Amino acid sequence: MLRNTETRWGSVAQAFHWLIAALIVVQGAIGLTMVELGTTPTKVRVFALHKSIGLTVLALVLLRLAWRLTQRAPREMPMPAWQRAAARLSHFLLYVLILALPFSGWLFNSAANFPLEWFGLFHVPGLTRGLDPVLKAFALRAHVVLFWVLVAVVAIHVAAALWHHYRQRDDVLRRMLPSPRKRNLFRRQGVLP
Amino acid sequence: MKPRIVLALLLLLPAGAFARTWKVDPAHSSLAFTGTYQGERFEGRFKRFDAKIDYDPGDLAHSKFDVTVDIASVDTANTERDQALPGKDFFDTARFPQAHFVTTRFRKAANGEVLADGTLSLRGVGKPVTLVVGFAAQGNGATLDVGATLKRLDFGIGGGDWADTSMIGNEVTVRGHLLLQP
Repeated sequence: MLRNTETRWGSVAQAFHWLIAALIVVQGAIGLTMVELGTTPTKVRVFALHKSIGLTVLALVLLRLAWRLTQRAPREMPMPAWQRAAARLSHFLLYVLILALPFSGWLFNSAANFPLEWFGLFHVPGLTRGLDPVLKAFALRAHVVLFWVLVAVVAIHVAAALWHHYRQRDDVLRRMLPSPRKRNLFRRQGVLP
Repeated sequence: MKPRIVLALLLLLPAGAFARTWKVDPAHSSLAFTGTYQGERFEGRFKRFDAKIDYDPGDLAHSKFDVTVDIASVDTANTERDQALPGKDFFDTARFPQAHFVTTRFRKAANGEVLADGTLSLRGVGKPVTLVVGFAAQGNGATLDVGATLKRLDFGIGGGDWADTSMIGNEVTVRGHLLLQP
């Protein structure tokens, strides 16, 4: 099913979730590595890659939100009110963070007056009128702080998903995974182990 | 001859041997360039330069430009780039703090444009460079616009790992705009 059902996230929502999750892990790894590099063309290329993936994440998150708003989410699992509130809050925070993080990077890049080319294919305009040292310093700080906040919220998100799956033995994680039939199909095709 | 007379003759000599000597108004003059980086154009300028201009459009034979540029004054509106450019991979200003351009002769192209042939010494490399010269009298003064296209690799700017011209374009256009005063 492409669309969400009462009990499961549809394949579009799942694709967005896992693709964006994977790209964010890659972005974190590149981001933490690239700042340690010396001033070489390799550094320039790695930064360019980080920017291109970041813009991709931003676009995917916007598409994901648009898709999310066109339909209902699956029914919420029965759980205590505080857990429901915590889940809603963390999901809301995750959306905000995965929007704000690439945006702050784009803002930093603009205020620093660096080039911006999406995978070398087309120019992406800056958000400022060239160099702006004050905004640049603010955007860089925001980018770093937002990243570590994201790491913390993702850690809670992952821990909660695993807790639901292994302790509560409910469907919270399973309904964000392909159905058993599809999982078998993926295994035969070698996509899943 | 008395020393005083020698001195007086020496002072007279430049006036006789050169075309009109101008003063350059630094506040209204600029030395700018355009390069490409990661497929995008960027603008830069040298904030400090000293131009000695003897020029008379009617007396090209005695005209002369002699320009010294303080390379460390480079400004491309990007802090990281401006820190990298004076380094030894690029301008290497520790060893070559100045660039120097001096004309060898002026000539007129077939289309009537004035061309100034000269030698540019940059980063320890001397190369012939030809400027296109535009001169416009304004009251007592004048504006002088010159332009040329250089190849950065001719001067070893960004050699080694930075020689990749798909990342940093080889061609750099340079534009000088001078406000001349009598």
